Amino acid sequence: MIAIEHLGFSYALKKTHILKDLNLVINKGDYLSILGENGSGKSTLLKLLLKLLLPTEGQIINDFSKTAYVPQRFESLNVQFPITVYEVLNCYRKSLKIKDKAAITKCLAIVKMGDFANNLIGTLSGGQCQKIFIARALMGNPDLILLDEPSNGVDVTSQTEIYSLLKNINRNQQVTVISVEHNLKAAIHNSTLIYHLYQGAGHLCNPDEYINEYLADNKGGDPYAAL
Amino acid sequence: MLHYSFMQNAFMISLLIAVLCPIIGIFLVLKRYSMIGDTLAHASLAGVSVGLMLHTNPILSAFLLTSIFGVIIEFLRDNFKKYAELILVIILSLSVGIAITIISTGQAHANVDSFLFGSVLTVTRGDFYTVLGLSAVSLITISGLYHQLVFITFDEEGAKIAGLRSKVINYIFSILVAATISVTIRIVGILVMSSLIALPVATALQLNKGFKSTLLYAILFSLVDIIAGIVISYWINAAPGGVTALISVFCLVCTILIKRGSAFI
Repeated sequence: MIAIEHLGFSYALKKTHILKDLNLVINKGDYLSILGENGSGKSTLLKLLLKLLLPTEGQIINDFSKTAYVPQRFESLNVQFPITVYEVLNCYRKSLKIKDKAAITKCLAIVKMGDFANNLIGTLSGGQCQKIFIARALMGNPDLILLDEPSNGVDVTSQTEIYSLLKNINRNQQVTVISVEHNLKAAIHNSTLIYHLYQGAGHLCNPDEYINEYLADNKGGDPYAAL
Repeated sequence: MLHYSFMQNAFMISLLIAVLCPIIGIFLVLKRYSMIGDTLAHASLAGVSVGLMLHTNPILSAFLLTSIFGVIIEFLRDNFKKYAELILVIILSLSVGIAITIISTGQAHANVDSFLFGSVLTVTRGDFYTVLGLSAVSLITISGLYHQLVFITFDEEGAKIAGLRSKVINYIFSILVAATISVTIRIVGILVMSSLIALPVATALQLNKGFKSTLLYAILFSLVDIIAGIVISYWINAAPGGVTALISVFCLVCTILIKRGSAFI
């Protein structure tokens, strides 16, 4: 479980609050998508959950034992970095002292990328790359996976595969998923909960409530038609 | 040529350097810290000057002072996140300032030219044992931290999130860079040392291989560069540092041309 209590955050040199008095409980087995416009505080909240930033107010209580992270990879990846898919996974495995050597082939098989073990990471497409980082996150059997815009720079077919994979891991293995999303359709179809951030404040609802509260007024008629 | 004891010492040291430099160099280049290597190489002149002034082993004094400068660079990285090159200017000013002050006032009781340009004539068996000790410690440390270093170099944020103590490992790595520079200054010299740290790696990168293969090719190129550098410098009576640097550049240019040529075939 993650309990976010009266969480606030502001950068030292700026007086404005990026996040204001957030309160949220994320239980084991939830699939939470964090939605909001640019500048609403989604990335800041993710960094706080990853302990890359410390709250300036309130606290985050996290009792998940193994947290894994899938970065928003494709844009920041150095495509000239000389490293194979196997080496990416192997340095992660060795650094985390995961003894099972077969973990690499198992995780590559889960994301259907077993044939790409010896390819250089820079030669992969956005979707293939994202699947490799999901495979990396799955090593060590995490109970919580955090993702930063997993469909960014990914073709439509790969998006479907990635979200199907995440949904499968969440529903069948009870791995909790928290995903910062720009992909509204994916958030509605895959999440069990949606956390909407607006100007630093948050509101929790389920996907149906989200459609009624945030989408119906804008689109008119059947809110599902737009999805 | 090899019946001279100074050449035997020079060759033995060169083999150690040829292995160590690209191992450190690949992490520096891929972290985009090549210029930190160059700055620390110049900073080692302060260590050499202090060693010569105090009549102590200049390689060890270079190691100590370069380690301190390396740790300062790593420490200042948090303060100058967006102006990393400014740190190098600060360290260069401080270290070269120390060196020039000591040398120009005649406090360094020996000729520093051999450290600037590299020399095989002045290499002693004592130097070899110092280099052997520092190289062995560096190689053992690198082999122990290899996978963590690859992870941090490829994805520093991911490594932090995964729980690696990346700050500590970066500090240890700074000291390893200092050790590598200290063992290299005798043969290659301060002025062109970064050629041996960065150029074999730059050449190996042209081959588009994985991390381990790139590293092995870099070591191979480094061996060719430094052995050819010493042999040719012996025959033409030149400082080995300059010749090694020229051969390194020549190897890189040839590799790029072959790669471009094969793309057209």
